[in-house]
Parts: sequence; C-alpha cells; structure tokens
Amino acid sequence: MSFFLQILISGISTGSIYGLVGVGYSVTYTTMNILNFGLGMWVMMGAMLGYTFYVLWGINFFLAFFLSICLVCIFAILMERVSVNPFVLAGSYVWVMSTLAVGMLMLNTAQLIWGRDPLRFPSIIGEKAIRVLGLGIYPQELLIIVAAFVIMTLLEAFYRKTLTGKALRATAFSFDIAALMGINTTYIAILSYVISGCIAAVAGILIAPVTLAEANMGTVLGIKAFGIAIIGGLESAKGIFVCGILYGILEGVLSGYLYTGIRDIIAFSLVILVLFLKPEGLFGKRTFEKV
Amino acid sequence: MKKSWILPLGIICFLTTVPFYAGTYYTFLTVLAFIYIIISIGLNILTGYAGLFSLGHAGLTAMGAYATAMLSQKLIAVGWLAQPGFHVLLGIAAGVILSCFIGALVAFPSLRAKGPYLAMVTISFGWIIWKILVEWIPVTGGELGIRGVPRPNIGPVLLNTEKFYFIVMGLCIACLFVQRNLIKSRFGRNLVALKFSESASASLGINVYKYKVLAFVVSAFFAGLGGALFAHQQNYVNPDTFGFFDSVFYLLAILFGGAGTLLGPVIGAPILTFLPEMLHRFDMYRLIVFGIIIIAVLYLLPRGVWGEIEGFLQKRKEKVEREIEDEKKIQEVEHVATPYKILGPSAVRSNAVILETHEVTMKFGGLVAIDRVSLKVKQGCIHSIIGPNGAGKTTLLNLISGFYVPVSGDIIFGGRKVNRDKPHRLASKGLARTFQNVQLFANMSVLDNVLVGFEPHCRSTIWQAAFRSGRFTQEEMDIREKAIEFLEFVGLSEYRDTMASNLPYGHQRRLEIARALATKPNLLLLDEPAAGLNALEIKELNRLIKKIQIKGIGIVLVEHHVDLVMDISDEISVLDYGQKIAEGPPLQIQSDPKVIEAYLGESLNA
Repeated sequence: MSFFLQILISGISTGSIYGLVGVGYSVTYTTMNILNFGLGMWVMMGAMLGYTFYVLWGINFFLAFFLSICLVCIFAILMERVSVNPFVLAGSYVWVMSTLAVGMLMLNTAQLIWGRDPLRFPSIIGEKAIRVLGLGIYPQELLIIVAAFVIMTLLEAFYRKTLTGKALRATAFSFDIAALMGINTTYIAILSYVISGCIAAVAGILIAPVTLAEANMGTVLGIKAFGIAIIGGLESAKGIFVCGILYGILEGVLSGYLYTGIRDIIAFSLVILVLFLKPEGLFGKRTFEKV
Repeated sequence: MKKSWILPLGIICFLTTVPFYAGTYYTFLTVLAFIYIIISIGLNILTGYAGLFSLGHAGLTAMGAYATAMLSQKLIAVGWLAQPGFHVLLGIAAGVILSCFIGALVAFPSLRAKGPYLAMVTISFGWIIWKILVEWIPVTGGELGIRGVPRPNIGPVLLNTEKFYFIVMGLCIACLFVQRNLIKSRFGRNLVALKFSESASASLGINVYKYKVLAFVVSAFFAGLGGALFAHQQNYVNPDTFGFFDSVFYLLAILFGGAGTLLGPVIGAPILTFLPEMLHRFDMYRLIVFGIIIIAVLYLLPRGVWGEIEGFLQKRKEKVEREIEDEKKIQEVEHVATPYKILGPSAVRSNAVILETHEVTMKFGGLVAIDRVSLKVKQGCIHSIIGPNGAGKTTLLNLISGFYVPVSGDIIFGGRKVNRDKPHRLASKGLARTFQNVQLFANMSVLDNVLVGFEPHCRSTIWQAAFRSGRFTQEEMDIREKAIEFLEFVGLSEYRDTMASNLPYGHQRRLEIARALATKPNLLLLDEPAAGLNALEIKELNRLIKKIQIKGIGIVLVEHHVDLVMDISDEISVLDYGQKIAEGPPLQIQSDPKVIEAYLGESLNA
C-alpha cells in the first residue's frame, strides 16, 4: 500500500509537469491554430537557464527564476516573428517543420553550450525526503504539484477575468472576427507564444531537481506532453491538465509494477487507441462536419 | 524518340558510369542516395500527394530493415536457399510485407484523425517501434542492433558495393516509374482529390477510408523496400537510424525537393545524403545545419526545388496560351450542338418514384433541423426544395446523400432503404450531388476533375495501373474521351487543361455539375447552383438543367432564385423550420398562403 501511495504521489507530480507542458501546446493552438512542435525544447531551455543563473552563477533563486523567464519571453517573441508568423497561412506541414526546426536548433545549441551530460540542480526547498507514514516524499515533488495547480488557476483567472484574456479567447474563436473587432491579433499571437513558452520553461525549472537538467530532457517530455494535449483534446486546458496527471500516475504504475522499458510502449499504444476511438480527444468537442 | 527523353537518359547513362571511377566511398554514398530516394517516393505519395502527414515514417523503414536482417541471417544457414541468393530476396520480401502490414495498422487510427491529431498517431507509431527496437533485446539486439547482415549474392557472385550499386539503381528507377504511373492514374487523382475535399471525393464514389489505407500501404511498401536495401547495404542495423529525427529528415527531403511533384524525391533525397557527409567534420552541428536548411527552404523555396521549377514553367506556358487564346477570340465560331451519347438516349418522364423520404428527422444536439419530412421524387422530374435561410434544405440534401444519418424515418433510393449508406456507396448506386460552397479539386485540371467522377465505373486494379497494363490504358482512354464529351455538354471543353481554381466562378459551378454527371447518376442533387451567378449565367444554368432532365435524370434542386425555380420545376416542396409546409406545382405554390407567410411574414389582414 505504501509503495502504491509513493507511486501515486510521484505520478501526480510528474503528471502535473506533463499537464503543464500539454497546456502550453494548447495555448498557441487555441489562439492561432498552430502548434509549437519544439515546445519540449522550451522546457529544457527553462531548466538550463535556471541552472546557469542559480547553480552556476549563484544568483538568488527568485532573481534567477525571473531572469530565466525574461529571456524565455524574448526568445518566444523572436520565434513567433521568425518561424511562425510568416507561415501562418501556409499548409499545416509548413509550420510543423518550421517549429520543429527551431526546436532542433535549440537542442543542438544547448548541447554545445552545456554538453550532453545530466547536471545536478538542487531543489530550493531541501533535498531530504520527508518521512510520513512510512512514505519518503521529496519536497520538490510537493512543490511541483502545488506550483502546477497555482499556475493553472492563474491561467484560468487570466483567461476569464482580464480583458487581455478575453481577447485571447475571442481570437481563439475566430481570428478574423477578433481582428475586425479591433483586437490587435499580432499582439495576441505573440502573447500566446510568450505564455506557452513561459509555462514550458517554468515546468522545466520545476522538474529539473527531480530528473536532473540535461540538453536532451525536452525531447521525450515534449512528445509525451503533446500526446497528452491531443488526448485531452487540444481546446480544453483543464482536460489536458487532468489527462497529464492521469498519464503520470499510469506511467508510475507501469514502471513500478512492470518495468520502465515497457512503460512508453504501453502508454503510446493507449494514445493511439484513444485517438482511434475518439479522434477529437477525450474532452474535445465533437463537431458535425459541415458539408 | 521524344525530346523529353534525352535528359533523363543522359543522366542514367552518367549514373551507370559512377562506380567505375568514383571509388568505393562515393559509390557507397550514391547507393545510399538511391535508397533514400525510394523511401522518399513513399512519403511523397502519402504526404505530398494525399496530404497525410507522417512523422513516424522511420518506423516503417525500420520494419523493412529489421525483418530482412533477421530472416536473411537465419536463412543463410540453409544451403540450397543461400547459394542462389534467395535468402536475401526472401528477407527483403518479408521486410516489404511486414512494413505494408504495419502501414495498414497505422492507417486505421489515422482514418478519422486530422491535422495535429494525425501527426500524433504517426509520431506514436514511430516512437513505439523505436522503443521496441531498443528494449526487446533478445530479438532486436537492443541499442547494438544486429550485426553481420549478409551481403546479397547472385549464385556464386557476391554483390560488393559496386555491383550492388546497379541493382539498387535499377530498383530506384523502377520505383520512379511506378510512382509516375500511380500518380497519373485514377489512384493518384483520387488521392489528390481527397486532399482537397473529402466530402466531394466521397460524393463521387471514392471510398475515403479505403484510399487512405491504400495510401499508407503503398507508402509503407516503398519505406519497407528502402529499409530492406539499407540493411543489406550497411550490413548491420541499429535503432540509431530509425528515430524521430530520421522521420523529420525524410520529410525534409521531400519538402526540399518539392512535395507532391514527381521529381521531388530525386532532388531532395540525394542532396540530403551528401550534405551531412560533406559536413562530416561538423557532426556536432548536425541538427543546427538541418534546422537552418529547413527554415531556409521554407522561406526561399516554399514549394521545394522542383515545385518552384514546375511553377515557373507553368507560368510561361500559361503566358503562351493566353497569347494563342487572344488570337482565337477573333475567329470564334458558334458551338454546334452534339447529340451527347454519353448520358444515353433522351428518356421519357415516367411516374416511377426514384427517391422517397418517409418522415425523416434529423437533430443536432437539441435542435431539430429536419422534422418528419416526407418527399417523393419522380424519375426524370425536377423537384425543387425552397424555403427561407436555415429552413433545413442543405441538411435534407446531406441526409439524402448519406453525409448524415437520420435520427428517425426512412430514406428509400431506387427501391432500397439507404438510411445508413455512406456517400460513396450511394454515388455508385447512381446518386450524385453538388455543393453549396463549390468543392472542386482546386489544384487539378478541369479535365482531371471530371475524370475523378468516373470512379464508380472504373474496374482496373492498382497493379494494372502501376505497370500500365492494356486494360488500364484502354479504360483510361475511354474515360478521357467521355470526360471531354461531358465538358462539351456543359460548355467547358476549351478549358480542359486549365487549373480548376483559375476558372471563373460561374464556370466552376458548371464544372461541378459535369463532374457529378460523370458518375452516371439517376438522381442529381443540386445545392444552390445559381448562388453567385449573374443573370446571363443563370439563363445558361436553366438550359443546362433542362438538358440534363431530358436525359431522364431526376433532379432535386435547392435554390433561392425564385424565377429559376418557378420556371423549371415540375414539383416544389417548401421547408420552414425543418418542416414541409407546402408541396405542389409552381403555380399552386405561388399562391399558397402558408408559403407567402413563411417568406414575407404574417399577412396584415390576418
């Protein structure tokens, strides 16, 4: 029983990271109908920048966090302008390739700067496992869960309560109509990339103390989170977050009771099965095809 | 000999000499380039032509490579098989078959998934296969892979790199021919048609699911063949060459060469084979180099190298054509009416009911779009359906043509209940339709658009198309001839080579009708054919519809132009809020108080 609870807690913690990154995909998809296929690399970038400022340069954690996010924002703006905006109207494979290409550039650059080896990123709230009821829980795991819920709540509040959030939702509904209503869609497009990039980067800073920071950390994570975003149904942020947590638990159970090698095979087979049965995702809205 | 053959023949002659002076290393690389061309051909058919995006193609290649690696290694022990070299042949065959099988398996979850959802299906498949290669160590050898994959031999002759070169080159050229034959047959046309509009394709009798599976299987065939050859060329296989980024690399190859062009793979694949080798010293910058190439291609050559060349040639051709056309205009003569045998003899109007809806109801969520509507359409009659916007007219057409399944009630077509029949089944049973928002296959020629309509009557198989058998050629000539007649019938024969999207709007409407007629319908559904037409064009449309009716084809016409409807209809049904409120001949409808109320609001005298 305690083994299961242990798995459950770390499953929820990794799961909320998957969920966050999945939501990152959804933010740009709902506003621009474009996915950032290199989003996994933004997770890595967050972790690496955080590592550089906090561990390498020894800056105060919160300042380091702030600096990393600022840099990520600048990158996001650059990326939107250079590799997304020119291709919005082109066929879908064009922006798939362009965002993938940016991801490849980021991955290779990171390998050149930080090497290929995993780097230790100490947690700010202690490395020692807390012993409760025979369970050993790392504080960072709890921090991840709390932080992820806070981010999700803030995001939801931003969408529902602020004028800018409403503008984002309006653009999601129809880009053209939003533009006609006087919403600055260029600004909205950039903003959606900034939000998406920041969410991914924060996820990277949060997970790094658990998984170690390395140049390659975003590749698999990015693909998994994409799968979760798809299963949750790209348009539903809450659905994606829930799916992320469920997926994290499933992964924990599979690697806890079976073995790690088979984990991804089963998990991805489930992704395919879900898409076979519900091509629009579990929480996506089914639309009648208009002929 | 035709002039267009000189350049390709020259290139082939040049390539045959390569092994004699290039040295083993460059010969080896060229073989690799041929293999990548073969793989790219498969991806080109799937992604370039059919528009189905695959980010897991390396998984299919891996199937071909691993199957032949394992099987040929086992069979080499069997002397009588190995001596003539059959062990490698059997291995390659197994690889191709396994790859096709997996391709079909990928296709099923991909059928209904679209856009990013489809991308996820293919990514997952690629990922699962890669993981299995890495983890299933007893069978696949894990990260180390399988070493000592046998070199192919023919009898006592061992095929070293130079000799293997000629085999692979021959296969590569054969694959290019097969690609060309497939694309320039009804299979290719149908795949491209699917890319532009699944609904329109289905309405012409194309089984959308079948063709998608077919596209995946054909694509997997090339991927499996390429993978198998790769295994025998390298003499070992390991998971490193079949990862996610390799799938991206294949895509880059066709994107660079020109996706959806016949020569795209020939240009893209070799350049991407040689480039990394030239940059060998910069191996640590590999992803940066590819990333920059991708972005540069997207900016500078959005249609790929060959796509841009084709576009340029097309433009020049059009310019010349326009000049010729200007000359032609001066001496234009009045069209002589031909008897149009294509649609059969003129038929007498009969009283037989061809289509009947019985209390049909359709709901979207809580909204009742069609409420217990009953209709009877007689053979050879023009039956119009009118009603205010949102009355449910198009929904009714969608129900009849099989795009929606009614919640209750029955639809009877040609004496059979067809409630649940799919659109393509109905099309082959003689029901054709056009769409409110014209759904042509935009990037295809006018003639090709009509040719797609012959799908329900084509009998040649994909093998006959791939190898250009007599039966296929005969059928193709037949339908071409008939298609031109159909174009004459609607008055578009001089535009046969124009791209459909370049036609003026009124012509597009008529082309859509010609395409529908090509399916040889008994009943034709026209969804607002006069929308957006000017007065003159409406007059022409009026004549065209009558001409179709004379041939004994029943017509259901949904239309807002009251003048047109009143002039040509034999029977009119009026819908309002999903219910049929009136029915009868035009004169009766014009004076029906319920109809007047629906259109003009409640009478003041009431």
